[in-house]
Amino acid sequence: MRGKIIFLAGLAAALGAGWAGFPYAIYTSRPQPVDFSHKVHADKAGAKCEDCHAFRDDGTFAGIPTLDKCAGCHAAAMGTTAAEENFIDQYVTPQREPPWASYARQPENVFFSHAAHVKLGNVKCESCHGALGASDKLPRYRQDRISGYSRLGMSMTDCIACHRQQARADSCLDCHK
Amino acid sequence: MTTTRRDIFKFAGGSALGALLTPAPWRLITDTALWSENWPGIPRPARGEIRAKFTHCSLCPAGCAVRARCVGEQPVSLAGVRGGLCPFGVTGHQLPYHPARLRQGPVSEAMAAVADAIAKCGPGERVAVLDLRPGRTASWTARRAMAVLKNGWYIAPVQSPVAVDLTKARTVLSLSAPLLERWGTPANVFAVRDGFRLIQADPVESRTAALADLWLPIQPGSEEALALGLAGQLTSAETAAMTGLSELQLASLENELTGNGPALVIDRAMSPAVVALNVKLGGWGRTIVPRAEAPVPPEWKKAAPVTELAALPDRSIRVLLIDESVPGEYLPWDAIEKKLTPGNPLVVVFAWSADGYGRYAKYVLPTPVYPEATDDIPPAIDSPAPCFRIAAPLVAAPAGVVNPSEFLAGVAGLPPADALRDRARAIHQAGRGTLVTYADGKSVPVKEVKPDDFWKALNAGGCWVGQALPPAKMRAQRATFPQPTRALASLTPSPQPLFAILTGAPGPALASPLFTKLYEESDLLLAPNCVALHPQDAARCGVAAGNRALLETPNGKWSVRVLTDSSVRPGVVLAARPEMAGAQGKVVRV
Repeated sequence: MRGKIIFLAGLAAALGAGWAGFPYAIYTSRPQPVDFSHKVHADKAGAKCEDCHAFRDDGTFAGIPTLDKCAGCHAAAMGTTAAEENFIDQYVTPQREPPWASYARQPENVFFSHAAHVKLGNVKCESCHGALGASDKLPRYRQDRISGYSRLGMSMTDCIACHRQQARADSCLDCHK
Repeated sequence: MTTTRRDIFKFAGGSALGALLTPAPWRLITDTALWSENWPGIPRPARGEIRAKFTHCSLCPAGCAVRARCVGEQPVSLAGVRGGLCPFGVTGHQLPYHPARLRQGPVSEAMAAVADAIAKCGPGERVAVLDLRPGRTASWTARRAMAVLKNGWYIAPVQSPVAVDLTKARTVLSLSAPLLERWGTPANVFAVRDGFRLIQADPVESRTAALADLWLPIQPGSEEALALGLAGQLTSAETAAMTGLSELQLASLENELTGNGPALVIDRAMSPAVVALNVKLGGWGRTIVPRAEAPVPPEWKKAAPVTELAALPDRSIRVLLIDESVPGEYLPWDAIEKKLTPGNPLVVVFAWSADGYGRYAKYVLPTPVYPEATDDIPPAIDSPAPCFRIAAPLVAAPAGVVNPSEFLAGVAGLPPADALRDRARAIHQAGRGTLVTYADGKSVPVKEVKPDDFWKALNAGGCWVGQALPPAKMRAQRATFPQPTRALASLTPSPQPLFAILTGAPGPALASPLFTKLYEESDLLLAPNCVALHPQDAARCGVAAGNRALLETPNGKWSVRVLTDSSVRPGVVLAARPEMAGAQGKVVRV
């Protein structure tokens, strides 16, 4: 009886650690450099995703906008929030790029084309990035301690599931060029 | 209450079971796999500006135009410009990273040894350069270098004196030439394929035979007999006996060639019998023309003549320099070895790997490999007009490699010069032809281009195309046929079954490791270490598919892997390497 209790105690300890502790312990967490609100930009400024996350002339995707883009509107404060004031003081005035952490960074061996998905496939931004575009506050960037990738990133399983659902090609060389 | 060892094990057992029921171990496996992708030394795709560069592929004489997609300065994918690119060409940008690649070599030591050996050459001993792909500007440098040395010789495989014009032909009879595989320029061949009826006379049902309008299965080695028979040099009965075709088939073939002209007859190297047959069919100046070369500076005309290896006396070469920097037509080493002096011949090989002639050389000097090398590509056999195109480098060559031309010029004491640029200048001065630039798809007469712009355009992947000689200016050609051999090849009695060893369309000697893996493991192409034979023949030899065997021919012995293929004609062994070809050979199980 005592042996069973000890065995079950070990089982319970591992289950607790594995389900409750491990998912937190595996990540480091840090805030984004700027308290940015997609919602404010979408609602008040009427900005669309592609206004800031633009495609270049050659069709490639520019990703996170650089400071030039932000400074186009925020060379001086447009509102009265502390977040904007902080952004201008720390980044716009000294012309320092904010060290954004990309939630969607993919491994080096993955070739992902935004143009193919957004322009040709008419995939909505939310399909992969969730409701980030409507959020009032950027979630903390949680980085896997071992792999180095974000918790919010797309995994290969997500890509394959969508490709199969949409009856699109899902062979290895489509993404792993 | 005391804790016993047994308690600890029970707790650990429970923990282990519990851990398996959580996401932790599986997540750790995934994370570790992702982490390992970023280990130091793992190649990473380049990031940077995406742009296109143009060059020409120098992996085979076709010299296809190439559009390279580059990220920054790094080419990441290659594609054809006018027409496609073969799988070898598509993976060409991986060659600089080939594991067999040589990067360092004893260049100074080899230079001193060559100078010393040349100085010590006795009477009748020769210094020779063997060039596997003649006609390049580098070949001219080698010829000029050999002309400076009093005992210098320039050796090259026999080149066809004629080029063919497939656009003019309505009927093409191919005598075992791999026309639809790797003969001439594939893009050009396929562009005009619908314009002619293709009759393939071939001992095996090759890919070309399978895609031809008509396949005539002939006896192995009877191509010349068929050409002579069609020219009337052999009787119908003799031709039928030698080729295995019926007299009715021969008559029908003859009618087709004369009735559905212009007709063009080709074989692998446009042999004298085939050229003479074309002349007899009225193809001179139409379907076949003299092979033209881009202009060269006048002072280069003093270069050493091109000599065939067989023309040199045995045991006469003291110093042999082999330029294997670009793939070309390989000569069997046995034939080369016969020409070397018996005592202390010095063999120096310029090659990207030590796998070719490097195995027999005292010095193997590493050379740039495509697409690092700057080289020009002579016109292919299906190019009736002369042309000049440069394989402009897409990536920088490593520091330790040597340019064979510079080495040879140094040995002979030629003044240092940029031979390619000198030749481009000579072409520009001649003022004929047009400059084709692929980036903008324009074709401009050379007269309208400044010399510097001409040179820049060539280095940016442009191509100079000259004018084919008008028929009126061609020297009349007489149909001179070689003496027909009426006796059928007799097979020497042997306890082992004897086979005719045929080689298919030779692939480039250079192939990306990835591509080699794909085709060698998939058997999509016959790999260099494989032979294919009919299942019944394999059974006669006591071998089965996948077995290792020894292929013995008069040219040598090779350890090979056996493939069985019912499309291979009984009595024939199909091999990939040209040096394996022979009238008779045997397959012995090991």
